[in-house]
Amino acid sequence: MRTGRTLSWDWYPGTIPANVRIDESAYVETSFSFVLYRSEVPVGVQIGCGSATYSGTMFDVGPHGRVLIADYVLVNGVRFICDAEVEIGDYTFLSWNVVLMDTYRVPLDPFARRRELKRAVGRHPRRIEAQVPAQPIRIGRAAWLGFDVCVLPGVTIGEGAIVGARSVVAGDVPPYTVVAGNPARVVRRLSTEEINYGR
Amino acid sequence: MTDMTQLAPGHWTHGDLPTNVRVGPNSMITGDLAFKRFFSRRDPALIIGAHSTMEGVHFALGEAAQVEIGDYCYFTDAVLLCELELRIGSYVVLGWNVTLADTDFHPVAPALRIADAIACSPLGKGRPRPAIMRQPIIIEDDVWIGPSATILKGVRIGAGAFVEAGALVTHDVPPRARVIGNPAQIIGQV
Repeated sequence: MRTGRTLSWDWYPGTIPANVRIDESAYVETSFSFVLYRSEVPVGVQIGCGSATYSGTMFDVGPHGRVLIADYVLVNGVRFICDAEVEIGDYTFLSWNVVLMDTYRVPLDPFARRRELKRAVGRHPRRIEAQVPAQPIRIGRAAWLGFDVCVLPGVTIGEGAIVGARSVVAGDVPPYTVVAGNPARVVRRLSTEEINYGR
Repeated sequence: MTDMTQLAPGHWTHGDLPTNVRVGPNSMITGDLAFKRFFSRRDPALIIGAHSTMEGVHFALGEAAQVEIGDYCYFTDAVLLCELELRIGSYVVLGWNVTLADTDFHPVAPALRIADAIACSPLGKGRPRPAIMRQPIIIEDDVWIGPSATILKGVRIGAGAFVEAGALVTHDVPPRARVIGNPAQIIGQV
């Protein structure tokens, strides 16, 4: 018997964990997005009003991890690898196969990594979850990330920024800039006219 | 030294392993698509050591392909595209959506590509395909490869190297180097 919240339209026979807070106007396509979820903080995932998470989205959130999705955010198939905090501002677009990782989950030192891999096989279910420092990711409001983008630990993406498809973001992105490339660099800045358009 | 006889035999959660696959003790393969594109006629075609975890990995092996994977490896939803040879050491991690391809899939010269297009078409049944560039990929022990990274043919990644998420690796990576970018460039040591 299933206990806990289910989604009436779900294809996957899973439940939404108790410490996931979803606004009643938000849409979560499937509980399959939570098969790797194991956060133990009071609110491990928060999804604000008018936001939607579609198939392909995976909340791989560790015991201390927290994903905060504000209002009117489009999460179109994103892999959250989160042991600290990933914060997404209002009106942001996240395209398919975007990876937002606030941790590497392994030590950088090869021999320390070896020890972790030996431990990983002993866990049930198997899992790599070394205690390495995680650095929060923050994405400002009205940002737009193209498909296949990877955002590395510790990165802040400013308000209104645009990240081109397949970019790998290794450093902070200033507000109202367009960045692209691997690693991503600033391609141009939005003009004052663009920034103020329609305001 | 671990007593191997005490460990569960290697298995695939979604069915019986193909007969030309050898999986060492305590290793597991998950995912219903693992062998959907497995066409190798080599025997053995795929050898996996002990204590390795292959979660949702696609073993897309062509007829002549051979793949060897060591002990204590951990791959998550990786795509292994192999027409010749992949040699992967022990303690190797492949993150989510990593792609390894030891082939170009099609010839470079346009005339040969036209011949290949015809051979691959519904009208090309039985027509031989032209020769295609294939070079083995070698990944040494203790390599970490981040999510969405791609490793192309002929590349050797040295022991302990750290390949950042999304990197596209076209040339050899020295041991313990940290690389990022497209094409991947060395940014430090680990």
